[in-house]
Amino acid sequence: MKHRGRGLAAIEYPTGMNQGGDPSQAWVKIKPDGRVDVFAGTVDLGQGSKTVHTQIVADTLGVPYESVNMDVSNTDSSPLCTGTFASRGTFIGGLAVLKAAKKAKEKMLEVAGQAMEIDPADLDVEDGMVYVKGSPDKKMSVGEVSAAATWGFGELITGTGVHLKAYSMPDPDTGVCDPDHAISYAACVVDVEVDDETGVVTVLSMVQAYDVGHAINPTLVEGQIEGGAMMGLGLGLLEQSYPHYPSTEGRGNEFGAYLMPGLPDFPEITSVIVENPSADGPFGAKAIGEMANNAQGPAICSAIHDAVGVWVPQQPATPERVLRALQAKAAGSDAPRRDGKTVIFDEDISVMTMADESSPLRDVLGV
Amino acid sequence: MKAVGARLPRYDGIAHVTGRTKYVADQSAQGMLACKGLRSPHHSARIVSIDTSKAEAHPGVFAVATYKDMPKNTVGHLEALGVPADEPYLAEHEVRFKGQLIGGVAAIDEATALEALDLIDVKYEVREPFLDIRKAFDPGQPQMTEKGNVFFYDPYDHRKVTKGDVDAAFEKADVIVKGSYRPSAIEQAPIEPQGCLVVPESDGRLTVYTCTQAMYFTMGVLAEHLQRTPGSIKLVGGTVGGGFGGKVDSATEPLAAILALKARRPVRWIFTREEEMLCGSVRASWHVEMADALTKDGWILGRKVLTLHDAGAYTRFSSYGATKHSFHLAGAYTVPALRTRAYVVWSNHVPTTAMRGFGVTSASFAIELQMTRNADVLGIDPWEFRLKNANRPGDLMPTRKVLEDPSTIDTIRACAEAVGHPLSATYRDMKNDERSGEWLPPHLVDQAAHAKLGDPQEAAR
Repeated sequence: MKHRGRGLAAIEYPTGMNQGGDPSQAWVKIKPDGRVDVFAGTVDLGQGSKTVHTQIVADTLGVPYESVNMDVSNTDSSPLCTGTFASRGTFIGGLAVLKAAKKAKEKMLEVAGQAMEIDPADLDVEDGMVYVKGSPDKKMSVGEVSAAATWGFGELITGTGVHLKAYSMPDPDTGVCDPDHAISYAACVVDVEVDDETGVVTVLSMVQAYDVGHAINPTLVEGQIEGGAMMGLGLGLLEQSYPHYPSTEGRGNEFGAYLMPGLPDFPEITSVIVENPSADGPFGAKAIGEMANNAQGPAICSAIHDAVGVWVPQQPATPERVLRALQAKAAGSDAPRRDGKTVIFDEDISVMTMADESSPLRDVLGV
Repeated sequence: MKAVGARLPRYDGIAHVTGRTKYVADQSAQGMLACKGLRSPHHSARIVSIDTSKAEAHPGVFAVATYKDMPKNTVGHLEALGVPADEPYLAEHEVRFKGQLIGGVAAIDEATALEALDLIDVKYEVREPFLDIRKAFDPGQPQMTEKGNVFFYDPYDHRKVTKGDVDAAFEKADVIVKGSYRPSAIEQAPIEPQGCLVVPESDGRLTVYTCTQAMYFTMGVLAEHLQRTPGSIKLVGGTVGGGFGGKVDSATEPLAAILALKARRPVRWIFTREEEMLCGSVRASWHVEMADALTKDGWILGRKVLTLHDAGAYTRFSSYGATKHSFHLAGAYTVPALRTRAYVVWSNHVPTTAMRGFGVTSASFAIELQMTRNADVLGIDPWEFRLKNANRPGDLMPTRKVLEDPSTIDTIRACAEAVGHPLSATYRDMKNDERSGEWLPPHLVDQAAHAKLGDPQEAAR
């Protein structure tokens, strides 16, 4: 018989390399015709960091998105970036290109001020035009300004930017430190159907809300939410490198021998973007990348409990694990042990059962 | 028109979906050789001898490399942060996992390189592997190192987070709930496997085409192995066919580089799918035990956690991952008293590395299933139980960092609205603002006062 259930998970995730100390640098220059070149080291893994950085530079400089080239191709022309990991691309890499673009804009206004014989403080840029604040008819295109810099004043319009948060060492006794740049939040609701004869769990729908501070590109944010959901579905239901862990027997050596979710497994999915801006992020943004696969697994396990009343505390919730839990429930052997006011689940897999009596691990929880 | 906030198409999207993007495997160079790696068939063994003479004499072979050829074989990815290097890039006197790299061959083509690998004679003394991390301190278990089976965080053998009076919280609790959680290791499984092409240039520099997620990071690791200046190496990449953390490891570059330098020819090494899956690093398996001290009306007074992180055979980024894990063991909630102990345990599984959500994916799994159980034991709606204990502006994280813009309440309520989950009036109307009134119960007054001090170091005292 098939039973339906619903599960909720709420999570948080830090932006940037834990404990800091991970700089990103960027360099922006403007060609004589006004086209903008950005050199940065942020590797694009397919998540779209090049697009996001291009958007940040375009708006910071006041030029059209289409006039910005993004080059992250090599370490000779790109300045240092610690790397694309730890959900740091949009925030830390983004602040580096933003700061570089700000400096280039200052230089551009300085040159435009010279060319127009106006105080640069009275100028601004929008849609590729440098104009006099309050008299928008008095203007020069960014290309004209850059040409004037090149041929007239012997200058290069350029700017560099770096973002670095100092390394923060945790106190070894308390863990006190300042390890991150921002915290993102998310909640995920899944509806499942559990077949009590086969143990197969099907996710019917998924609704997820992510606070990303400010969505620089909502389409790419949704891409991360949906791609992450696919990975979370694998974590929750299918994937395991060691099917008989801790034994190493039975490892899959190819895609045909390792179960991952495919499009037919993908449920109806609803993504909600919540914007609670970060005071420090580029345009208020926080990270989304990594956290997107963290909530689905536990939400699925909670939904399985809601559907058939069993707990599956080992990921993934394979049909075998679900069936064994259902059998234990039918035999009445699944109830947690009660010791005074303490309710103890999963005793069979805990260190209290699995570690030697002399092991210091048994003392950590004291229950 | 503003670009920020706009649904602009991906910068390189059309090239990706029309097959015009060049990845590492699309790169080639004149005179390029193929590389293959020799790997351990055992989980744990002493290496008695390695004889490469027949492979070196095999027609079509240009270079063979073992640990003796690597100027600096053992380089730690996090040495700059004080994590000691413990992994020989090419195995020396022992192997600690099945698939561990021992040496490699550069030959005229892949078939010839594979033939040569078969001619390398390695004699092993096979040992019993250590696999169950729960038995890390058990007598009679195989020892991964001379110093035992766990990583040492000076001055302890685990990462601690200690906040508030945990014993008092458990004393005061009406109910204590304890559970154990075991998320599995999974494959990185990028469509593009690990790979690189190393070209020795006429000016003495090396050009390295690579799929790394972190070009400067890989440049530093490679330079250290080769004992060259980082600036004498040019990395070309920046476009990756899927990377989830595993491509931060410098898997292929050092071997391909040392063979290229020896052969004085370009060398390309692309992992096979089987290598990617059996020898490439995975997301770690974790074992998390959690006990929560609860009041019968649904407040979390305190939490204790034991974490075992199965690092696999070597440390790589695991000490970093278990620290990050420890800092997020309160989840999206405010837990005033916390005592956590996280152990990085070495085993004869393949070395694990960073993967999407590193350290926190396991914490989120344990916390969120525990939260549902807490609510179930107390007989409280799991949505309202979470909202009651939600982070609020001014609250303290486990690190004592003051939260400025938390969104537990906003994201849960957005989901409740989207699925039509009924919330009682108290939770329907609650605001995501600083604690006061019914949301500032006596057990949270202290942590709110610490937060007002503003300085997390000060708040800890």
